[in-house]
Amino acid sequence: MQRNSRLKRELQMLSTEPPPGISCWQSGDQMDDFRAQIVGGANTPYEGGVFGLEIKIPERYPFEPPKMRFLTPIYHPNIDNAGRICLDALKLPPKGAWRPSLNISTVLTSIQLLMAEPNPDDPLMADISSEFKYNKQVYLEKARNWTEKHAIQKNDGQVKAAEKAPDLFSKDSSRKREPLKEQQSQQSKKPCL
Amino acid sequence: MEGSDNAEQGGSDQSDSQRRRQLARLDREEAFYQFVNNLSEEDYRLMRDNNLLGNPGEITEEELLTRLQQVKDGGQRAAGTTPSASASPSPSASAGTSDSGSSDERRPEAAELEDGAEPPNGDTLLDWLNTVRRTGNTTRSGHRGNQSWRAVSRTNPSSGDFRFSLEININRSLAEQETQTEAAVAEQATDVATAPAPAPPAPAEEPSTTEAAEEVPAQEVPAEAPPEAMELEEEPVVEELAVIVEPDLSPPVTRPASPQPLQVPVPVPMSVPVPMSVSVPVPIPIAIPSPPLQAAPVVVEPPQTRRGVVRPRSRSPEQRRTRACTARSRSPHALDRMDGLPPAPPIPDGLPPLPPPPPPPHMEGSSRTRQHIPTRHVTVETIDPQAFLATTYSPEPPPAPAQEEEPAGGEAGAGRRPPTIRLDLQVRRVRPGEYRQRDSIASRTRSRSQPASNTSSSSVSSSSGSSSSSSSTSSSSSSSGGAGSGSAPGSGSGAAGHNTFLYETEQGGFRRTFSRSERAGVRTYISTIRIPIRRISDAGLGEATSVALQSMIRHILTGFGELSYFMDSDSDSSDSPRASGPAEPSDAALAAGAVSASGGQAQAGGSGGAPQTDERDRDVDGADLPTGTAAAGVVDGSGRTRGPISLEETGSLPFLRLAHFFLLNDDDEDQPRGLTKEQIDNLSTRNFGESDALKTCSVCITEYAQGHKLRKLPCSHEYHVHCIDRWLSENSTCPICRRAVLATTNRESVV
Repeated sequence: MQRNSRLKRELQMLSTEPPPGISCWQSGDQMDDFRAQIVGGANTPYEGGVFGLEIKIPERYPFEPPKMRFLTPIYHPNIDNAGRICLDALKLPPKGAWRPSLNISTVLTSIQLLMAEPNPDDPLMADISSEFKYNKQVYLEKARNWTEKHAIQKNDGQVKAAEKAPDLFSKDSSRKREPLKEQQSQQSKKPCL
Repeated sequence: MEGSDNAEQGGSDQSDSQRRRQLARLDREEAFYQFVNNLSEEDYRLMRDNNLLGNPGEITEEELLTRLQQVKDGGQRAAGTTPSASASPSPSASAGTSDSGSSDERRPEAAELEDGAEPPNGDTLLDWLNTVRRTGNTTRSGHRGNQSWRAVSRTNPSSGDFRFSLEININRSLAEQETQTEAAVAEQATDVATAPAPAPPAPAEEPSTTEAAEEVPAQEVPAEAPPEAMELEEEPVVEELAVIVEPDLSPPVTRPASPQPLQVPVPVPMSVPVPMSVSVPVPIPIAIPSPPLQAAPVVVEPPQTRRGVVRPRSRSPEQRRTRACTARSRSPHALDRMDGLPPAPPIPDGLPPLPPPPPPPHMEGSSRTRQHIPTRHVTVETIDPQAFLATTYSPEPPPAPAQEEEPAGGEAGAGRRPPTIRLDLQVRRVRPGEYRQRDSIASRTRSRSQPASNTSSSSVSSSSGSSSSSSSTSSSSSSSGGAGSGSAPGSGSGAAGHNTFLYETEQGGFRRTFSRSERAGVRTYISTIRIPIRRISDAGLGEATSVALQSMIRHILTGFGELSYFMDSDSDSSDSPRASGPAEPSDAALAAGAVSASGGQAQAGGSGGAPQTDERDRDVDGADLPTGTAAAGVVDGSGRTRGPISLEETGSLPFLRLAHFFLLNDDDEDQPRGLTKEQIDNLSTRNFGESDALKTCSVCITEYAQGHKLRKLPCSHEYHVHCIDRWLSENSTCPICRRAVLATTNRESVV
């Protein structure tokens, strides 16, 4: 109902005071299609990477959670190969914890947090999860590799630039999206349990 | 930073015009809030319940005003027609019920449609249904060509019951058509009268008690568990769906003879239908065994012979009206009657229903063929008498006052009644207690026609969720020796032949009964489908619903399919029960090809008590059904392929879109149950005052302004009334602290 006016307000807030390490903008004209980027946190295997996300706003927003997924491949127990994220805030109760008082900004922050602290007990990717639990070094290694390969820009200093001007990166990340999408379609769905 | 959100768009022109648009929008928004805040409590509720508020900023104040006016007018009209309605003038009730045919205009979409030809496509219907889901009681009617339809929905605010019915009349002539519509309206009015308005938010009333539940569909609840029980049990487990298809052919001679299927859920000790009943009668042209006169496009085996006999219908709206009354009042009668009957032995809840014996193939296939009738008769004996009694009532109906009225009403005089197709859908929630036993889909069909001399008493009592009655029936049928038990109450009805054919699968989660009565060309098909919702014990309320709804709709479709496809489909469905041994009921349910596999499976899982993810359903949903045809396809496809349904005919009919509707809205249904309107209304509200600290509604992220109406939840969090109401209608927790709002409201439901 209040969707559009609320989205406008949210965008405004996102642009005026974005959460640290997060940026979000409208994708094209669409009022229901957003893009976001999350910068990998320090001291995480994702450090230095910039991860693009796609955000779809459902018709019934904010009474329904936004649909978010990673566009940039990420090696994470709670994010599958298609970029889908297992996060309670992205689901409606009773399974999830979405509520209209949350917003895109807070959810993105939650995702950022999830990146820093995976939840292996609610895995989407079972193998990564067990790796995370029992063989953390391997996990860290792989996650770093993935970050290196997919999320870090080749240019020196890009990372910093990314924080300042995320827009510059959208092109790059969009280039990466293509192959990923094909890959995604082949992924089999996995329950987020 | 104004334009920052448009950063991507660049063009200055664009942003300029956009800004202007935004400004205009802001103005409208402001106006909206003012409007909402100036509404009186009643008006607000009225508008909300009718879904007229729209989005802030998208509707001008004038528009809102007009709508309000229309609603009010409609409500008054309704109240005027029905004196009794005025007695219990709950705004939502009168508003909802009055929203029929002529008063349709007040709903904008409706008006549009009404102007043009009646919605040949189901869109209106969909819209309407959507509205209904949120608003509760509504009625709509319309006509197209020589068909008129009427849809009524009823929601019981306090119980979760939900009824929905469709009625399609095929008129012989246009002239008749008019009458028809009028009649429909009249009926409607009666509805209001007979059915107490949705419980008014009176503080004194106990929203969640049976009382409330009974209110709306008086017919269905009588047997329900005592209020105390209801209160104790909180979570609805089962949804019941009753589909009544009543193609009624005009009785050649007297009207009374025509079967008026009444749906009388037998007293069900166990069924603890909980909160929520919506009844939506939606008359839709469907390929149903509407005794197709020229009008019916249906493939159904038409009683052609009858045509010659057709007489011009001389019924006046008034008469009609009486009839409606009687029909409604009948249910109680039936119950009374039943009471008089030897009480069926109560079946202990824990008792697992006997696995129903596989019905002989021929029976199902034959549902339409006459040859099979004899067979059915034979089987009758096997049926447990009591069960039978419970479901069918004795031929000589004790003339209830209301009933007597009916014949007098002139139905008797009127020779002809246009064929009517009626679809009645009831969704009831049953408490967890009965979980195990009823975790099955049961569908039954019963039909009966009785030629009562002066009272047309054909009442069909569909087994209500009552475990006792249903189980008894099922058990009896099972005992009958592995055949669907066809029952022809030869003894009782005497002149009238009852051909009831039913086969049920217990436990398996799928039970269905199909019955047909054919008498002097009068046929009635009634199908009741009971779909228990599988409950995920820990998961909370939400999950089961979608499955239930989904399978429900499939059942409906299936049912119709069967009706229209005669034997093919019938035999098809019969396979499942047959195949299923007593031991593997759930499999049987699955096998029931007619029903979509997913639905069946879900049910099976439920019966097993194993929680299932909704994944499967999702997937099924994934295939969006853009068109009626598609919908049909999916429905069938999910299960197994059935005989070709003549989609050309049905596809364009609104009916199939129902499936669409349900499937598409699955997500919604997935959500946890929200509060009832009454419960919401019981939460305190206040107006935002200047002195209040600056606060923002966290739903719409808008700051409160002077005069905004706020609602305060038990946890002290406040929101705009219209914001939080919407959330609470689907959820039961505070958006900020997630504390359950229900915990307080539900228990001590009264203020």
